[in-house]
Amino acid sequence: MGRISLMGVSRAGAAAAVTAGAAIVTMAASAAIVTVAMAVPAAAPRAGGTIVGVVTTAAKAPPPLRVTIDPDVCGQTLPDDSIVVDAAGHLAGVVLTVPGVRVAAPSEAPVTNDKCRFGPRVSLVRPNGTVAMTSKDTVLHTMHAAAADTRVLFNVSLPIPNMKISKPIDKPGVVMLTCSTHTWMRGYLFVTEELAAISGADGSFKLDNVPAGSYDIRVWHEALKAAAPTRVVVKDGETVTLNVTMK
Amino acid sequence: MRRLVAAWFIALFSATLVAQSQTPTTIPEMWNAWCARCHAKDGTGKVPVPTVKVQPMDFSNCKLTSSEPDADWQTAITHGGPGVGLSSEMPAFGDALSQAQISEFIALIRGFCKEPGWPAGNFNLPRPMFTEKAFPEDEFIIQPVSSHVKDTPAAVSLAAIYERRIGKRAQLETVLPFASVSSGTRETGLGDIELGMKYALTPRATRYLASVGFDVVVPTGSESKGLGGGKVFYEPYFAAATIAGSTYLQGQFKIEMPHGGPWADREVLYNVYAGRDLSIFPDTWTVGVEFNGENEEVALTPQVRRGLTRTGALAAAFGVRLPVNHREEQGIRWVGYLLWEFLEPVRPRR
Repeated sequence: MGRISLMGVSRAGAAAAVTAGAAIVTMAASAAIVTVAMAVPAAAPRAGGTIVGVVTTAAKAPPPLRVTIDPDVCGQTLPDDSIVVDAAGHLAGVVLTVPGVRVAAPSEAPVTNDKCRFGPRVSLVRPNGTVAMTSKDTVLHTMHAAAADTRVLFNVSLPIPNMKISKPIDKPGVVMLTCSTHTWMRGYLFVTEELAAISGADGSFKLDNVPAGSYDIRVWHEALKAAAPTRVVVKDGETVTLNVTMK
Repeated sequence: MRRLVAAWFIALFSATLVAQSQTPTTIPEMWNAWCARCHAKDGTGKVPVPTVKVQPMDFSNCKLTSSEPDADWQTAITHGGPGVGLSSEMPAFGDALSQAQISEFIALIRGFCKEPGWPAGNFNLPRPMFTEKAFPEDEFIIQPVSSHVKDTPAAVSLAAIYERRIGKRAQLETVLPFASVSSGTRETGLGDIELGMKYALTPRATRYLASVGFDVVVPTGSESKGLGGGKVFYEPYFAAATIAGSTYLQGQFKIEMPHGGPWADREVLYNVYAGRDLSIFPDTWTVGVEFNGENEEVALTPQVRRGLTRTGALAAAFGVRLPVNHREEQGIRWVGYLLWEFLEPVRPRR
């Protein structure tokens, strides 16, 4: 049985985001890892259902990163955000995508440089959307965006605190953000036109308004892969639970 | 109450000091706070803790710092390294800084060259077809010419031109021509080799650049086959370059004197080029026209040039020399060139 209760209460969560070709998790019989479906009693059945769940992992958070420059602003060490996991194994920053379900484009994805970290670490962006960059730090940051094929989308300097600079993001795919002046900084833009969510700090996610149907939910994480493919069946007006384990 | 006011003033004063220490307001302060972490305070690019993989250019190297026009630097700072075909680790500052601030940065960067007397790169203008540039260059050029005179078989030549800068102001030049001509039977072979030297006269001038040069033509081509002139020629010239608004102006006056020949046998050449860039970023098309004179014969050469790489290291140009008078004698000459500025990195267009 999965970790999520079957009370029909969606866990908090989840913003959006998406991904490309990561591992596929199915609802298969991989025991403890996945799934459970259940119906939510509803007065009037509405079109589309909801997928909720929690992402967990046995992987541990890496040791802190040693700061090599600007310790007065960045501190002596910083957490390595490549695996953000709590004591219970809840994993943040996992993008879950519903293949084939397109959604309206959000206008802008904000990414902030704050104390020499990108926040949020992973953002969901729609093709032809924009990313809005700011820096809260008094040291020079840059936001270097490179597609998976190494194509550089831009490298924008952010020398003036709180100045907002927006740049367009064109194609679907995973865009990696780095900083030319702070080599440890990493961030990701998950560019997709499909319905997607990002697991929050408690590992939970929620995908709303999913048209009824059977889906192989795509799962992406910058360092881990899904332990097993997951298929989920969504029915109108119902909430399906999909728990995912990453390794 | 008085203490409270005093404390408030002290707090305000302290906050102002902190803000001032954190936010640079002058261009040198901005350089030290932002640029110096990769380029170093002295512009050499040598920093104790490098954060970029590509070693930044050494701005104290006067040859590198002086030889390109302001527009190239403006593009690099505004759009970042990829704007001029260089590393994407150099970020774009165009959103954070005004163009006036960027111009001040360019002046500061050029100031890292501590040796006076390097001609300003602003007068390193696009190469015309026939007018000699005033700016000393490091270039290799292939220049084909196809001449078409009425009732005469076409003559074709291909010149390999090597230009090498010597010191701050001088340039050596070698021209190795191959020609194919016909006066009944077609003859093909080496033409007259040309050796030359150029010297910039006004490296400190900010509005123009003037140079003098001297070419010697050696009769390596067969005169009987029509491939050469059969004599040594001495060819002193004067060349100048300036910019009017956004129009490039270049001129050259040259005298060609045969060795031992009478003064009356001299030829006088005068060329004037006017051109302008149609675009700066991401690639440059330059259109121009030359007024070409040779004694009393004059012609016009409309031409177009395009940078083939973002660094400007490779460029190609094409034009046609159309006679204004003496049309039958002059004929029409199709001309082009492929240019490699060999000190610049060659990077393919994305």
